[in-house]
Amino acid sequence: MSKPKIGIFGLTSCAGDQLAILNCEDELLDIVGAVDIKSFIMAQSELKAVQDQMEDSRFDLALVEGAVVTDEDEKMLKKIRDNTKLLIAIGTCAAWGGIPASRNDLEREELYQIVYGRREDLFGCHKPRPLRDFVQVDFSLLGCPIEKEEILRAFSSLLHEDVPVLPTFPVCFECKLNENLCIFKEKDDLCHGSVTLAGCGARCPSHGVPCRGCRGPVDEANIPSVYHLMKEKGYPVADVERALRTFTYNAEIPQ
Amino acid sequence: MGHSELTGELIPRHLNVRVIAKDNLETFLGGLREFGEVFGPVEKERGAYIYAQLTDVKNVVQDAQRTVLPPKKYLYPQKEELFRFSTQEGYRKPESVDKGRKILFGVHPCDIHGLSILDKVFAGRYHEPRYFDRRDNLIIIGMNCLPDERCFCYSMGTDWVEKGFDLFLTELEDSYFVKIGTSCGEDLVHAQAELFRPVTDEDIQLYKERVNERNKMFVNRVELANLPQILELEYESEVWEELGRKCLSCGACSAVCPTCYCYEVYDVLDLNVETGSRIRRWDACLFKDFAKVAGGHNFREERSTRVKHRFYHKQVTFVEEFGRPSCVGCGRCVTQCPAGINLIDVFKEIRGEKVVHKSAR
Amino acid sequence: MPDRVGFDITTARTGFNTFPERVGLDILSERVGKQDPHKPEPARLVRIDPMVEDHWLFQFRFVEERLNREFSYRPGQFVMLSVIGVGEAPISISSSPTRPGMIELCVRRTGRVTDALYRLKENDLVGIRGPYGNGFNVDKLKGNDLLIIAGGLGMAPLRSLVWYVLDNRKDFGDINLMYGARTSGDLLFKNEIDLLLNRKDIKCLLIVERVQYEHRVNWRGHTGLITDLFKHVEVNPKSTYAAICGPPVMYKFVLQKLLELEFSKDRILMSLERKMKCGIGKCAHCTIGYKYTCIHGPIFTYWDAMNLPEMI
Repeated sequence: MSKPKIGIFGLTSCAGDQLAILNCEDELLDIVGAVDIKSFIMAQSELKAVQDQMEDSRFDLALVEGAVVTDEDEKMLKKIRDNTKLLIAIGTCAAWGGIPASRNDLEREELYQIVYGRREDLFGCHKPRPLRDFVQVDFSLLGCPIEKEEILRAFSSLLHEDVPVLPTFPVCFECKLNENLCIFKEKDDLCHGSVTLAGCGARCPSHGVPCRGCRGPVDEANIPSVYHLMKEKGYPVADVERALRTFTYNAEIPQ
Repeated sequence: MGHSELTGELIPRHLNVRVIAKDNLETFLGGLREFGEVFGPVEKERGAYIYAQLTDVKNVVQDAQRTVLPPKKYLYPQKEELFRFSTQEGYRKPESVDKGRKILFGVHPCDIHGLSILDKVFAGRYHEPRYFDRRDNLIIIGMNCLPDERCFCYSMGTDWVEKGFDLFLTELEDSYFVKIGTSCGEDLVHAQAELFRPVTDEDIQLYKERVNERNKMFVNRVELANLPQILELEYESEVWEELGRKCLSCGACSAVCPTCYCYEVYDVLDLNVETGSRIRRWDACLFKDFAKVAGGHNFREERSTRVKHRFYHKQVTFVEEFGRPSCVGCGRCVTQCPAGINLIDVFKEIRGEKVVHKSAR
Repeated sequence: MPDRVGFDITTARTGFNTFPERVGLDILSERVGKQDPHKPEPARLVRIDPMVEDHWLFQFRFVEERLNREFSYRPGQFVMLSVIGVGEAPISISSSPTRPGMIELCVRRTGRVTDALYRLKENDLVGIRGPYGNGFNVDKLKGNDLLIIAGGLGMAPLRSLVWYVLDNRKDFGDINLMYGARTSGDLLFKNEIDLLLNRKDIKCLLIVERVQYEHRVNWRGHTGLITDLFKHVEVNPKSTYAAICGPPVMYKFVLQKLLELEFSKDRILMSLERKMKCGIGKCAHCTIGYKYTCIHGPIFTYWDAMNLPEMI
């Protein structure tokens, strides 16, 4: 049986999710043993245009990082989709727009003015959007960056023609398994653990840092209840909303 | 001091009680390492106590309030490997099964009751060997505690224990009154007999005073009489809808509950796609897909039905099954719920009693 | 170091009472042996019968020959089937205990585990543990008439009951089988149903919403909804047990009919489905009220169902 062909691509992003794959140091040889990595610009010494690499091979599995920000991003994403059986969004940018989309409430011109002091479009970019706004996404691995354990589980399951079973519950549960003092309740800090998808092992709250929601909202996030609770603690609703939009601008946030 | 000298001074009815000076307790705990690994409550961060291995007995907090997780984590870990599997050979026991003897110090009466409830759950026709292998190797040194505003063990009948421990300590002035519950407990005392002294009449007097004082300290009362019947009658109550709007479905209450036991089982495949592990982890009935079957139908789609289910399972259905509620009144769910859901208030409301709503804290 | 004259750790170990005596729970005396109820026994997929699209029949045999002889069960019980590397799912047994030596499971392709099962080939290894659940109390059914009502995949567990009663035919009174499906092409166990239609000792009634073109010539059933079949059977509710399995929507209408016929509520037996992770009354996924579907069910009387919230 020939090994499945894999491509790992990055759109507009910090490349942190691709790095997370490279950081699976102990398992890299196993990964390379199990799959045939046909394109992974970040890990290649011999550089060949991504477009050319795509011409050469069709992929069984394409992992795509980053948000769609430019026309090139969109073109490349569609090309990847046409050339792969399965398309996996890796990281919160690819799945939700992530940090790049956090100020999608402002027009680009206004943002250029704030950042560059002029209104000119230097890059030809649009409001950052997640992959699923453009193509069919078969599966998403969340996180900023993605979790090593989830990458490995996704690889092995997908190789087995199965989808990985990942947590569907909030970070709070994992936080309690780690026996942390509740930041939200006991320290009155705006911690997003209760509305954020678990899978990170509650890493931030376990280090005393409130959850910022980098893994995106959990299904059935009870945001009205969080609003109510934060109001009781004296936080303005706008703060809560801004915080909730940091990573997942496009998520539905009821008023 | 040898064994016979010690017992020689005692009248027979006092054979199973001793006194240890508070100053001697750490020495005693240190000496227990001869029997196994010693665990006890330590302060993880301000106000958060956890059971942890006492690598340094000085870290133990003798008067710790409730720990974040109950002792169930030592019998039924948050996550464990049930089997290793291979597509060629099927399922076999994993190699690393911890068999070591553990001594758990400072277990409060509610938690001792919690363990005996879990015993019932994991026993029965389908005995859970992992749980009982660890249970057989767990020595319990109980500790009498003083209630705070979240304890309602008094109402649940779990404020006191007569069994389920090897030793049980009750604070006197500068010492602890030690009840020896088992032969094993006596072995522990005997091994460091010089740290203990026989009880005196003054000790007994003081002990009785302490117990009486403690009984008066329980401010929370939950009326249990007819509660299952009332809950059944109030199945359609608006209270559940309200709780459903409040609840964050985070499962914190289940994680910290001494008697919540439900679990999820899943397989993790290795990269070779041939071998892997079957894993069991704690689950919570508050999670959205807890009752969702393959194909998509969800028997408890609405959050309010899940909150209600948890209350009913604790207070009604467990009574049907095992003759008492599975709640032990430890107050952990009240302490940990980020949405401020307070079980005591819920029951008062259901019973039609007046509830003074406090803020989320 | 404390003085430990005459003290020996090994005696402490022997002196350490085993747990049951320490805590004195009677329930623990039930502990027999050290077998692990979670451990699946290796079994091989020996035959695949692709009966109907996404409703295949799989035949299994345990690797250990002794188990093939010793595996006994009641109709209506289920097993936990492990597809290695994917997971475990509860599947009701379709074969009859009167025909031992293998286990047949009719499985709908509906989730990750069943999807993976459909990818297996003959002779592949799986894991099976069980049987679990109460099953039909066949001893109690003896001497009674039976009205067996199956809708769609509900035939899977009821096929076990049908063959059980036919193989012990003299123990039972009249047997009526009503079997409904969406179309004639969706009927499971077609060849066996044809056999049943020819038998005199069971009245087998079929009903579908639509007869497919290719089945029109030899169609020996009715069209309509399953409740339409009631006018074709004569049952005495005092001496009949009704055994029902089908999609949730079917129960409502069938129960109404049975109650109209004045069936006692404990003569109506229904097989229910819930999510399960253990099959042994521990994981709590399948709880309905105070019942665990996996140990108190999956067969419940309508009386139980009425008194348990969320039952259907």
